[in-house]
Amino acid sequence: MKNLLHIFKIFFIFTLPIAADNLYENLNADQLKRLDYLSENIRCPKCSYGNINSSNAPISKDLKQEIADLIGEGYTDDEIFNLMEERYGNYVILKTDINENKTLFLIPLMVLLISILLVTTYTIKRSK
Amino acid sequence: MSKKHSNFGTKLVLANFATLIICCGYLFLQFLEDNFSFIYVFENSSILLPTFYKISAFWSAHEGSFLLMILFLSGSMFINNFFFSGQDWMPISNATLAFILFFYLVFQIFTSNPFLTFDVLPNNGTDLNPLLQDPLLVIHPPVLFAGYVFYAVTFSLVIAGMFIGFDKKLFQSLKLWAGVSWFTLTFAILLGSIWAYYELGWGGYWFWDPVENVVLLPWLAGTAFTHSLIFSKNKILLSWMVFLGISTFLLTILASFVVRSGILNSVHSFASDPSRGVFLLSLFGVFAFASLALFFSKSVFLQSEWPKLLSKQYLLVLNNVVLLAILLIVFLGTLYPIVTEVFYGQKLSIGPNYFSSLITPLVLILITLFSVEQFPKLLKINKRKFLLWVLSIALVVIIIDFLKISALSVGLYFIALVLSILLLKALVELVTKRQINIAHKVLGHLSVVLLTFAVIANHQFSESLDVRLKPGEEVEFSNTVVRLDSVDVEGEMNFDTVVANFSIQSGKTQSNLKSEKRVYKIGGVITSETGIVSTIQRDYHIVLGDRFQDGSWSIRYSINYGIMLIWISSILLLFSMLYGTIRRHGY
Amino acid sequence: MMLSIFSLSLVQTDELQTIKTQEGKKLIISEKIYDLDGNIIPFKSLTEGKVLLNVWASWCITCLVEHPFLKSITESKDVKLIGINYKDQNFNAMNYLDKNGDPYEYSIFDLSGDISLKLGVTGAPETFLVIDGEIVSHRIGEVNLEVWNEKFAPYF
Repeated sequence: MKNLLHIFKIFFIFTLPIAADNLYENLNADQLKRLDYLSENIRCPKCSYGNINSSNAPISKDLKQEIADLIGEGYTDDEIFNLMEERYGNYVILKTDINENKTLFLIPLMVLLISILLVTTYTIKRSK
Repeated sequence: MSKKHSNFGTKLVLANFATLIICCGYLFLQFLEDNFSFIYVFENSSILLPTFYKISAFWSAHEGSFLLMILFLSGSMFINNFFFSGQDWMPISNATLAFILFFYLVFQIFTSNPFLTFDVLPNNGTDLNPLLQDPLLVIHPPVLFAGYVFYAVTFSLVIAGMFIGFDKKLFQSLKLWAGVSWFTLTFAILLGSIWAYYELGWGGYWFWDPVENVVLLPWLAGTAFTHSLIFSKNKILLSWMVFLGISTFLLTILASFVVRSGILNSVHSFASDPSRGVFLLSLFGVFAFASLALFFSKSVFLQSEWPKLLSKQYLLVLNNVVLLAILLIVFLGTLYPIVTEVFYGQKLSIGPNYFSSLITPLVLILITLFSVEQFPKLLKINKRKFLLWVLSIALVVIIIDFLKISALSVGLYFIALVLSILLLKALVELVTKRQINIAHKVLGHLSVVLLTFAVIANHQFSESLDVRLKPGEEVEFSNTVVRLDSVDVEGEMNFDTVVANFSIQSGKTQSNLKSEKRVYKIGGVITSETGIVSTIQRDYHIVLGDRFQDGSWSIRYSINYGIMLIWISSILLLFSMLYGTIRRHGY
Repeated sequence: MMLSIFSLSLVQTDELQTIKTQEGKKLIISEKIYDLDGNIIPFKSLTEGKVLLNVWASWCITCLVEHPFLKSITESKDVKLIGINYKDQNFNAMNYLDKNGDPYEYSIFDLSGDISLKLGVTGAPETFLVIDGEIVSHRIGEVNLEVWNEKFAPYF
C-alpha cells in the first residue's frame, strides 16, 4: 500500500495542469512538419547538447509547445527562429546557415579540391 | 639491444601489469563491499545497486575509467611482449608505450585519483547514474578504451619502424594490430549508437553530438591508415601510412581531452577546473610535437614509391584525401564552437545539417571510388571514353533536374544501383570461381554501401507523431493503428516504474510494446524507457511522456525505417574487419 | 596546426566568459500577473526601482537549498525580493512558504510556466536583478554568498 501511495505521488509530479492544449492537434499536417523541422533545429537551453525534440527537460517541452502555438498564430519559420535567437542567443539555433558560415563550408571543399589537384598533378609528373 | 636487456624489459612489463591488476582489483573490491569511505565509490554506487552494476560502476566516471584505460594499456604491452617476444621492434615499441603509460599515470595520480577517502564513513552512496544502468553502456566504455589503447600500440609500432626501418615482419605485426584497433574502435562506436537508439529514447542513433564527433576523428584517420597498409609490400605510400598512424593515435588523445576536460559543457567549466584539460592538452602537444618532428626528420628515410595515374594505389590516395576531408569537416564543426567561445565569448552551435550536407556527397564519392576500383577495366581510359563518361553524367544530371527528383532520392537510387552491381559481381564470381577473391574486402565495401543506403532511407522515410492518449484510446497514423491498452505501476530493486502497454496494428499483424517511466529511489532521477518493436523494414518506437490531469498520457510515436538494416550492415562490416585481420596471418 | 592548438591551451585558462543570460534586456511581461492569493499585480511593482526576482518552486530541491540565504538577504539588507512560483500548484507553494518561511514581498503565480518562459527562464532556481525595468544581472542556478557578492552585491 505504501508503495502505491508513493507511486501516486509520482503521478502528481508528472501531472501537467494543462487543461485545453491537445498535443498540437490544432496544427495541420504541413504545420506539424514545420514544427518538427523547427524543433529539430532549436537547441535545448538546459542540456549539454540536443534539440528540443530529443530532450526530456521541461523547458524543451515548453518551448516545443510555444513554437506550436506560434505556428498556429501564423508566424513564419524565420520569425520563430529570430524570436528564439532574441531570447536565448545564437547558441540556441542549431541550423547552420550556409550564408552566415561561408568559411566553415568552404574550407573543407577547398581543401578537398586543392588536395585532389595536387595529388593528380604530382602523380602525372612522377609518371613522366 | 641485447637479449638480457629485452628479457629485463619484458619482466618489467609483466611487473607493471601485475601491479595495475592488483590496484584495479582493490578498487573493484571496495565497490563490491560497499565501502563508501572511498569518495569514488560513494559517488558512483549505492547499497541497493545490483551487483552487476557495482562492478561496472568502476568505469562509470572519469577517475575509474581512466584507470581502466591504463590497465588496458599495460595489458596490451603484456600481450605484445608475450606473443611477439623477440621481435626487432619490441624495445622501441615498449619504450614508446612506457612513455605514454608514464604520463598517463602521472595524470592519474595528480589529477584523478580514485582512491581518495572521506574521514567519516557514509552509510550509503549517491547511486550510479541511472542512464549508465544499462548493459550496453556497461560494455561501451571498456571497448572504446581498448580501441584507444590498441591505436597507441600501432603508434608505437610506427615509431619503431621509423627507427629500425619497415620490414616484412613489422608490417605483419602492424597489420594485425591495425586491424584489431580498427575493429575495436568501430565496435565501440556501434555500441554507442545502439545504446543511443534503444536507451536515450529519441529514435536517433547519431546526433553529431561533440562527444560522438570526437570519437569519429580517430576512426576516420584509422580507416585511412588501415587502407594505407594494404600496399605495404611495395612500400608505396609509406609516408602516408606513417603519418596516418601517428595522427590516429594523436586524435585518440584529443578525443579523451575533449570529453574529460569539461570543455564541452562550457569553456566555463573547463576554466574553473583546468587541471585535467590542460594536462591532457599538453600531453597531446608533447606527443604531437615529438612524433611529427620525428616524422619530418626521417622523411628522407621514408622515401617511398608513388603510384601511377589511375592505378589502384592512386585511387587509394584519392580515397584517403576524401576521408581526410570528412575528418576536417567533423573536426571544424566540432571545435569551431569551442574556439569561438574562447576567443569571442560567443556561444554558438553547429547543427547536424552542417555535417550531413557536406559529408553525404563525400560518402557517395567514396562509394564511387571503391566501386570503380573493383572494375579495373573502367580505369583504362582514353580521351574518347572520358568524354563519353562526362557527357552521360551531364545527361543524367539534366534529366534529374527536369524530373525534379530530390537530392536524397537520387542518392538512394544511386546507392541501390551500386549495391546491385556489386552484389551481382560477387555472385557471379562465387558461381564461376567457387570463391570470392579478397572476400573481406568485398563484404566490407558491400556493407558500407548497404549502411549508407539504410541511413539515407531512414532519414527519408521515417515519421513521427506527438499524440495524447487515454488508456483504451487509439489513433491512426501512417497505415498503422496505435492503441494504449493499459498503464500499470511496478517496483524493482532500485526504482519504481509506470509501465504503459501498447498494441500496434499494421495490416494483419499486431505488435505489443511497453514504454516506461522510471523513478530511481535514490536521487529521484526520472528516466524514460522507450518501447521498440523491430522488423527488418522498420521499427515502431514509442516514448512515454507526461501524464495530464485527465488521465491521458503524451506519447511520441515514431516509425523508423531501416534501423535493423543499419545494425545488420554494421555487424557485417565488423565481421569483414575481423575476418580480414585474422586471415592475413594464416590463423 | 599543432601550434595553434598549443596556444589555445594557454588562452583557455585565462578566459572566463559568461554563459547566455538575459542580461541587458528589458523585463518582458505581456500578460496579467497574479500573486498566490489571486490578487492582480500592477506591472509598476516590477518595473520601478530595484527588484530582485527569484524563480522558485516547492518541488525544486535546489530552491530549498538557497532558501535560507534568501531569507538572510531580506533580513539584513533592504532588498525588494519578489518570487515567481514556477510550474507549481498553489497550495503546494503556500505549504512550502508556511513550512520554510516567506522572504518574498509576494510571489507571482505561474502555474504553466508561460510567464517565466517569455522572460527567458529555463528552469528553477534562477534570479534576476531588475533595475527600472532592465535586467542588469541574471543568475541561472542557486544564489549563495559567493554568487551574491559576484553578481548582485555591486548594485546595492
